[in-house]
Amino acid sequence: MRSTIRARSGRVLAIVGLIAVVLAPAMTTVRAAEGDLILKVGTDQEFSGLNPWQSVYVVDYEIFTLNYDLLVGYDENLGYTESFATSWTTSDDGLTTTFKIRPGMKWSDGEPATADDAAYTYQLVIDAMAGELTMGSGYIDGYLSSAGLKSVTATDPETLVVETATPTALLIPAYVPILPKHIWEKYSLEQIANAEADGFFANDPPVVGTGPYTAVEYEPGQFMRFARNPNYWGKQGAADEVIITHFENNDTMVQALRNGEIDYARGIGADAFDSLVGEPGITTVEGNANGYSYLTFNGYPKAIEGGGASTRAVADPAFRDALAWGLDLPQLVDRVLAGHGTPGTSLLPPFQAKWYVAPAADVQRSFDLAKADEKLTAAGYVKDGSGKRLDKDGKPITLRMTWPASESELATAAQFITEWWGDLGITVTAGVTEDETLLVDLTPPEAEPPGKANFDTYMWGWVGDVDPNSLLQPFITDEIGGSSDTFWSNARFDELFKLQGQTLDETERKGMLQEMQEIFYREVPNVPLYYDAELHAYRTDRFGGWQNQPLEGGTPLFQFGPLGYTLLTAAGEEPSASPSEATAPSAGASPSAGATGSPTGGTSSNTGLLLILGAVVAVAVVGTLVARRRGAKATEEE
Amino acid sequence: MATRFILRRLGQAAVTILLIVIVNFLLFRAMPGSPDRILARNPYVSPQAIQQTRERWGIDRPLIPDQLVRYVGATLQGDLGFSFAQRGRPVTDVIASRLGPTLLLFGLGELLAIWIGLALGAYAGWRRGGPIDLIGNGISLILYSMPYFLLGMILLLIFASTLHWFPTFGMTTIGARFDSPVAYVADLLPHLTLPVATVALGLIGQYSILMRSSIIETLSDEYITTARAKGITEDRILRAHALPNALLPTVSLIAINLGYVVAGAITVEVVFNWPGLGTLTVEALSARDYPVLQGVFLVLSISVVLANLVADMIYGRLDPRVRS
Amino acid sequence: MTTPAATVDLAPLAPTAPAEHLFRRIVSRPDGLFGLVILAVFTVLAAVPDLLVGPLQTAVTATGGRLQPPSLAYPLGTDEIGRDLLNLTIHGTRISMVIGFLATAITIFIGGVIGIVGGFAGGRIDAVLMRITDFFLVLPTFVLALILAPIISDVIGTGSTMLGIRTTLIVIVIVVGITSWASCARLLRAQTLSLKERPFVDRARVIGAGRTHIVVRHILPNVVNLLVANAVLTFAGAVLTETTLSFVGLGDPFQPSWGQLLNAAEEVGAPNLGAWWYFVPPGAGIVLVVFAFTLLGTALDDLLNPRRRTRR
Repeated sequence: MRSTIRARSGRVLAIVGLIAVVLAPAMTTVRAAEGDLILKVGTDQEFSGLNPWQSVYVVDYEIFTLNYDLLVGYDENLGYTESFATSWTTSDDGLTTTFKIRPGMKWSDGEPATADDAAYTYQLVIDAMAGELTMGSGYIDGYLSSAGLKSVTATDPETLVVETATPTALLIPAYVPILPKHIWEKYSLEQIANAEADGFFANDPPVVGTGPYTAVEYEPGQFMRFARNPNYWGKQGAADEVIITHFENNDTMVQALRNGEIDYARGIGADAFDSLVGEPGITTVEGNANGYSYLTFNGYPKAIEGGGASTRAVADPAFRDALAWGLDLPQLVDRVLAGHGTPGTSLLPPFQAKWYVAPAADVQRSFDLAKADEKLTAAGYVKDGSGKRLDKDGKPITLRMTWPASESELATAAQFITEWWGDLGITVTAGVTEDETLLVDLTPPEAEPPGKANFDTYMWGWVGDVDPNSLLQPFITDEIGGSSDTFWSNARFDELFKLQGQTLDETERKGMLQEMQEIFYREVPNVPLYYDAELHAYRTDRFGGWQNQPLEGGTPLFQFGPLGYTLLTAAGEEPSASPSEATAPSAGASPSAGATGSPTGGTSSNTGLLLILGAVVAVAVVGTLVARRRGAKATEEE
Repeated sequence: MATRFILRRLGQAAVTILLIVIVNFLLFRAMPGSPDRILARNPYVSPQAIQQTRERWGIDRPLIPDQLVRYVGATLQGDLGFSFAQRGRPVTDVIASRLGPTLLLFGLGELLAIWIGLALGAYAGWRRGGPIDLIGNGISLILYSMPYFLLGMILLLIFASTLHWFPTFGMTTIGARFDSPVAYVADLLPHLTLPVATVALGLIGQYSILMRSSIIETLSDEYITTARAKGITEDRILRAHALPNALLPTVSLIAINLGYVVAGAITVEVVFNWPGLGTLTVEALSARDYPVLQGVFLVLSISVVLANLVADMIYGRLDPRVRS
Repeated sequence: MTTPAATVDLAPLAPTAPAEHLFRRIVSRPDGLFGLVILAVFTVLAAVPDLLVGPLQTAVTATGGRLQPPSLAYPLGTDEIGRDLLNLTIHGTRISMVIGFLATAITIFIGGVIGIVGGFAGGRIDAVLMRITDFFLVLPTFVLALILAPIISDVIGTGSTMLGIRTTLIVIVIVVGITSWASCARLLRAQTLSLKERPFVDRARVIGAGRTHIVVRHILPNVVNLLVANAVLTFAGAVLTETTLSFVGLGDPFQPSWGQLLNAAEEVGAPNLGAWWYFVPPGAGIVLVVFAFTLLGTALDDLLNPRRRTRR
C-alpha cells in the first residue's frame, strides 16, 4: 500500500511538472495586443444590458453615454454643452424648441448621423406614450414624458424641432441617448421596449453609436469591453479601450485596484477607502452624493382595513418634527458612514448646487432629546406613569422600523434610532425586510393592485438626476399609488411642482424650489438622514488628466457623460488644450482588433476549457490504467 | 444489468424531477418579487403603466392554475423565463454561460479529492492508530470542520495577498486577450490553483473520514480474518478485498453528499470571485433575480438526481445484491 | 457544509449501556475527552455571556475606535462600529450554539419520527415516507435555504424576539432543520430496520408483546444510542450550515452569530485591511466547536458500535 501511494503521487508530480515546464514560457505572454492602452474600471453594480431603455443603475447610464450622445451634454460644471446638438433655442411661448444638429457626424459604422436619428429616437417615446406603454425600466422615456413631449420633426438634416404640451424646463436636460435609426428601425416598438418580447433587441455588440467608445464585447454579469470609436466628432481620450468590470465582492475590487489590475474603482467601502488614502500611486476622491438615505413615516391620512400604520401619530407633522429632534444625524454620519457623508437637511442634496437651500437657522433642527420631549408633550403626546409615550388615542406608541436587505448599513442606523427614541418613551421594533416584500408592504390602496401600506416607519434612499425634478416628484399627491412612500399630500407643494417644471428662468425656478424645500422641512414627510458620499479611487501610474465632474465635489467617472474619459492622458503626458472644445476626430485613431467581428477571447476560452478538461480526463484515465496494471502484476506474483 | 432495474430507477428519477419543477414554481411564487418591481420606485411611471406592463409580462393572471401550467409547460420545453436583472436575457443563457467555470472548478476539485481523500482514508483506516492515521485523521477533521469559505479566505490571505504567488481573484486576467488556447490555459492555471485547492482540501477532509470509517468497518468482517488465515498478504487483502467493499458505501455517500457540497462550492466561488454558478447564485440573490435563482435551483436539483442515478447504477454494477 | 453522512450503522448486541458507564468510557479516550471538554467550555460561555463580558454591545454602547487592533483595553480589537470583538465573539457563542441546538432538535425530531416510523411500520407507509425523504435529499439545501428564508420571514415577521432569539435567526433554525432532517431519517430507518430483525425483538413478539411495547422498550433504547451520536454530529453540521447561510447575508446584525461576524468582516474588507482580529476569533470558534463535536460524535459512534471494537 505504501508503495502504491508513493508511486501514484510520484506520477502525479511528474505530470504536473511536465505541464508546468511546457507552459512556463507561455505564462509571460498574457498581455493584450502590444501598445494598446486599456482603461480598466471596476464597479459594484450589475449591468442591465446594452439596450439603453432598460437602464436602471448608474453603470447602465455610464454605458450608454460612452456608446451614444445625448442631444445636450454636460460640461465640467454640469452646465449644458454641445453634444449631438450644437445649439438650441426655445420659442417665446415656450412650446417649441429648435435644436441645431452638428454637421458631418458619422455613426461608428460610417453611416451619416443627422437630425433624422434624433427624431427617430424621440418619436419612439411619443409612440410609447400614445400606446400608454412604458419603455423598459421607464427612466429614459420618463424624462421626455415628464417634459410633455408632443411631437418631433427633423426639418432638415441639421435641424430638429420639438414641441411640448406646456412650457418645460425638462426638455433640454432630458437624459436620452440618440440612437442610430438605420440599426434600430428594423425592430418594432414592442421589441425595443419589452425585454420579455419575442425578438427583443438586446443591442448586443458591436454597438453602433456616436459616442467616444462603443461596446465590442459583453460578458453579462462580468464585464463589458469598449473600443475607440474612429468616427467620434470630439476629442478622444488616451485610452484605446475601456473595460468596465463588475465585482460582486467590494473587497476584491479594492484588492484589484491595489494590485494594478484595475485603474478605477467606484463604490468602495468606507474603511477600505480610508486605508487607500495616502497610498502611493493611488488617488482617492470623495464625491458629493446626488441623493440621500432617509427615514420615512407612513403618512397615510385614513385608517386602512387590515393594515396601515399602528398609530395615527405618524401622520401628524408635529409628531414627526418632534421625533426628528431626536435624531443625531452627525453621529450617524460618523458611525455608519465613517464620516463619509453630510448630515441630511433638505430633500435636495447639496450636490444640486444651483437649487439647494439649507433650512433657515431658526427652523434648523439638531439633536436635542429634551426639546424633542417638550415638543411631543406640547403636541399632545404625553408619557404615562411607566414612561411610555401615548398617542392621542391613549395607546402606548410602538413603531415598527424596517429597511431593505440590500441596504445593510441601515441596520446600524436602526440600532441608534431605537435607542434615541427609546429615551423618548417610544418603543421601536426594528428588523430587516426583503426588498420585494418591502415594496409590497409599502403599496397603498390607490395602487394597482391595491396594497395595505402596512408599515410605520422605514428607511431607504433616493438618487437624483442632474435636474432636480425627479427628486421632487415622489412627494406630490398624484404619486400616491406610484412612487410616493410617504403618502403625504400638500396642495401648495403640488402647485409649485407643476410650475417649476415649466419655468425656464432659473432664478424664478429657484424661488419655487426654495419654497418647496421649506414646506418639506416643516412638514417632515420623511427625514433625510444623510447624503452618503461617493467613494471612488483611481491609479495615477498609467493614466493622468483625471478631472472631477463637477469640478467641485464630483468624481472623474460615473457622473454625467463621457467627459472624464475624453480628458484622460497617458501618465506623464501634459493634458492638451481646453477640454470643452470639440475638435475634429484625431487622425491617428485606428480601429483596434476587437472593433469588428467576434471577440477572440470567447473562442479561446471554450477551446482552453476543453483542453483542460481533456487533459484532466487523460491524466485520470492513464493513472487508473497504470494503477490497475500494477495491481494485476502484484496479484500475479502470488 | 437488469433492464427492469434501470427502467425503474429512470422512472423514479423522472417523477422526482417533475416534483422538483412544481415545488420550484410554488416556492418562487410564494416569494414576493416580480419584474415590475423595477418600475415601483420610478417617479416617471404611472400606476396605469405599471398595470399595463404586468399584463404584458403575464404576471397578472391567477397563480393556479394559469401560471403554474404555463410555468411547467415552459420548463419542460426548456424555457426558464427571463432574468430580472440582466434585462432580456433568457435564464437558460445566463446559467449556461456560468456552467463551464463551475464544472471546471468543481470537477477538478472532486477528482483530486476523491483520489487523494480516498487513498488517505483507506491508508489511515488500514494502519489504524499509526502515525499516518493520527495525523491524517486529525488534519482531515480540522479541514472538515472549517467552512469552505474560511479555508478559502485563509489560503487567499497567505498565498495571494501576502506571498503574491497567485492572483487574488477571477478566472483570467481582466481584459487580457489570448492569441492561442495555450496562452489562455497559461493564464487560467494560476487563477485556478487556489480555488481548486480550497475545494479539494475541504472535500479531502470529508472523503478521507468516510473512507476511513468504511475501511474500519470492512476490516472487521469475517472474510478478512479468513483471508488472513489463508496467508494472503496485507497488500493484496487491502486492494482486492477490503477496498472494493469499503468503496461501495463510500460511493453512494459521495453521491448523496453532492447536494451539500454544492453549498461549499458556492461560497468558494464567492471568495475567489470565480465566475461560476456560485457567484451567479449570490449575485442573483442580492439582485433579487428570482427567475435565475429558480433556474439554478432546478439545474442543481436535476444534477443531484442524475448523480444519484449514476451512483445507483454504479452501485448496482458493483454489488449484485442490490439489483434483486 | 454538511450534515455528515458518517457511517453510523450499528447493531448493538443488547439494550443500551448505562449512561454512567458510557460517560467514563468517553472520557478515557483522548478524542472523547477533548470533545467533551470543549463542549463544556462553550456551553459555559453560551450560558452566561453577560457574566463574563457584560451585555451584548450595540452600535450605541460601543466605545472603541473603528477596526482597532487588539490592545489591553480591547483584547480582540474592535469592529467597524467600534464594538469590542471579545464581547461580540462570546455573545456569538450563545447565538451560534442556540441556533445549532434548536436546529438539531428539529432535525432529530423530524428525522427520528419519519425514520423510525418508516423503518418499523414497513410496507406502504415506509415506501411513502422514503420517497418524501429521498426527495428532500435531492433538493440543493443551500439554494433551498436561501429561498425559504424570505418566505418564512414573511410568515413569522421580523423585529421581534422568540425564546430570546430574534425571529431572523429563528428563520435560520427552521431552514436548517427543514433541509437537514432527510439524511438523519435515512440513517435511523436503516437502524430501525436492522433492529426489527434482532432476536430479542422476535422473542418479544412471540411472547405476545404489543407493537408499542416493542418500540418503546426495545427499539427506542437502542436507537437512543444512535440518536445521541447522530445528534452530536448533526449539531456540528448545523453550526456549519448556519455559518454559511449567515455568511451570504441571512444573519442578523442585531444578534450576531459567528457566521454573521464573518459576514460583517468580509463586507468591511477585513482580510484585505489586515484586520485579522475580526475574522480569526469567530472562525476559530466555529472550527473548534465543529471539530470538537465531530470528535465527540465519532467517539460515541466508535464506542457504541461493537463491530469496531474487534481489531487489535
